Amino acid sequence: MVVSAGVDMGTQRVKVAIIKDKQVVGKAQEFVGFEPIKAAEKALEEALKDASISRDEIEHITATGAGVDMATFADSTVSMMGADAKAGTYFFSSARTVIDVGAEDARAVKCDEYGIMQDFIVNARCAAGAGTFIEAMARALEVELEDMGALSLHAERASPINASCVIFAESDVVSLIHREEPKTEIARAIFDAMAERVSSMVKRLGINPDVVLVGGVAKDVGFVTSLKRRLGIEILIPKEPIYAGAIGAALVAARKAKRSRRQ
Amino acid sequence: MASEIEKGTKYIPEMAQTEIDDLNKSIKTASLKVIEDNIERMKKAWKNRPQAMEYFDEISNLFGKRQEEIKQQKTAGKKVVGYSCIFAPIEMILAADAIPVRVGSGWYDTAKLGDRIMPVEICPVIRSTVGAKMVSLSPFLELSDAIVMPLTCDGRTKLSEILADYKPIWHMNPPRVKDDPHTLGMWKQEIMVIKEKIEKLTGNKITRKNLKEAIEKMQQATKAFRRLQDLRKGNPVINGRDAMLVNQTSLWDDVERWTQKVNELCDELEKRVEQKEHSTYPDTPRVMLTGTPMIWPDSWKVPNLIEESNPQGLVVVDEQCSGDRILYDPVGVDEWTMSDMLDAISERYLMACTCPCFTSEHGNEDRINWIIDRIKEYKVDGVIYYVVRGCILYAMEYQRIKRVLDKMNIPVYYLDTEYTREDVGQMKTRVEAFLEMLEARMDI
Ligand code: SF4
Ligand code: SF4
Repeated sequence: MVVSAGVDMGTQRVKVAIIKDKQVVGKAQEFVGFEPIKAAEKALEEALKDASISRDEIEHITATGAGVDMATFADSTVSMMGADAKAGTYFFSSARTVIDVGAEDARAVKCDEYGIMQDFIVNARCAAGAGTFIEAMARALEVELEDMGALSLHAERASPINASCVIFAESDVVSLIHREEPKTEIARAIFDAMAERVSSMVKRLGINPDVVLVGGVAKDVGFVTSLKRRLGIEILIPKEPIYAGAIGAALVAARKAKRSRRQ
Repeated sequence: MASEIEKGTKYIPEMAQTEIDDLNKSIKTASLKVIEDNIERMKKAWKNRPQAMEYFDEISNLFGKRQEEIKQQKTAGKKVVGYSCIFAPIEMILAADAIPVRVGSGWYDTAKLGDRIMPVEICPVIRSTVGAKMVSLSPFLELSDAIVMPLTCDGRTKLSEILADYKPIWHMNPPRVKDDPHTLGMWKQEIMVIKEKIEKLTGNKITRKNLKEAIEKMQQATKAFRRLQDLRKGNPVINGRDAMLVNQTSLWDDVERWTQKVNELCDELEKRVEQKEHSTYPDTPRVMLTGTPMIWPDSWKVPNLIEESNPQGLVVVDEQCSGDRILYDPVGVDEWTMSDMLDAISERYLMACTCPCFTSEHGNEDRINWIIDRIKEYKVDGVIYYVVRGCILYAMEYQRIKRVLDKMNIPVYYLDTEYTREDVGQMKTRVEAFLEMLEARMDI
């Protein structure tokens, strides 16, 4: 029996998952704030509480995420893509492509049945394919972030947004508001623009079914609807997509723990 | 004909001498730091680095010993022939007792200066070379009495015009298709024109005797190079970065001395093979580099990333004109007659080159075959395809290469970047994920 932990040091939140015998038994998340290490320690503590497991029982901790270099407490690290591949096949054993759209970036991974990454693509340069884009647009539209998705579903069509860069898209949105275009249609246009970015990235990589979507943005019905439309296929979404990185890392940790036992 | 008034004023804007001096000084200081840092990192990565590497560390200082030597030889009457690209016939330069040096720039800071007169869409290798010229930074460009400029890609074609503001530029016009019956003939003409120009510049005739000597010198260099390459085929006894540095110093070092030092290095390394003394773990994923030339010192960010990554990778071979492509093929002479030697030189510089400026009905087949062969010989686990923004030839040829590698089940990663140090963090994420993938594949 192996108990291991995965810590995903995201730019906005730290997520922790604990697994025992290939089952997720505890999870927690914390806002990063100015002290990522403290946030990570706190999330780990809470996840342990959630799992009713003591820290000593954990054999191996693997960290991942944008802030992975800060994770001094970890025994090893894994790339975000490697973690996604593991988590995707953990959630759905049929998964062969995993798309991860987080706050700051988007990426896609192709993997085999063992969750081993075969190929990947990252969009790290442009915020228009990531969660902060929706946040910025919700602000411009003066609606709550959580309401954007539902709003977009009521649209009959999408308003035209030309710019795909956050800065310019924002001014596009402002001028649409001034023209009194319905908010529903502007919201849909925003999701469409973002889905366009993400889908062209995924198409460059090539898609192997089944496709799983993880990351914070997978919770957003507006984005998911647009992405399905753009890709023209069904997309599987796990119950808690935000924990994909942490769970993937915990699975890698379990493998590493087993391997070091052998040595 | 350009009038006298136009001369020297085609492209480069006027800059105040104080600005030139300031920039020269600050970039040179930064560059020396990068050189030092690269060497430090290479030493740190490999605790028991062979003694023979010290020589190459010294030659790697672009503003050091070698620059001084060339200066002295120039005062004694020798001529220096710069070249921008692998197509320049080195043997002829040597035969006329001139000094060949490569002048392409690997400085990131000077690319910003090049931006003043060039659109950012142009590849940074070109922008950076122009920037280096604007502030007279490149010792070898400055010391050149003339520059051989093969017109391979658009950037290089216009670069030649810009540099013509300062120096005599000798164009070479390589055909884009190698294997049409008439193209080799055309190319031989190009080589003959260069021969005349070298003779005129140096005042030395290229004779049967001195050309034969020069060819033999270069054959010795390729022999030493291949000896080093053979050592990279087995368990790691030299890190990729170190081997790359050895390759690259051949672009500005004295070729005979370089050959001797490479042989000394190989002596040391061969002992290590026997003693099973490794430069890193034998099961480190073996990486091939290909794509845009990676020029010392700033472009070392890529091999640094690969060999310092977690998990670590080992560069075992490359397909780059800044690396293994330089010295792989010797000039093959059947009979030491003048005309046979000239034929052999023409053939070597055209046929053996795998630059993507070539094409054929089947695509740039020579490059593909070269890559496939090397993957097998060096037991490559994965390929990193490096492209700088604006390098159209390499960027476009990627899909063709990827298709072949996919069929061979060899993972390939397209690593695109700029001449900047700021994207190292992002690149690290990508490189690590790739190496992790190679490692995971090796586990099964
Ligand atoms: S890649 Fe081709 S064109 Fe560019 S420097 Fe090398 S040989 Fe010349
Ligand atoms: S081959 Fe590529 S890197 Fe070399 S000069 Fe041309 S565009 Fe630049």
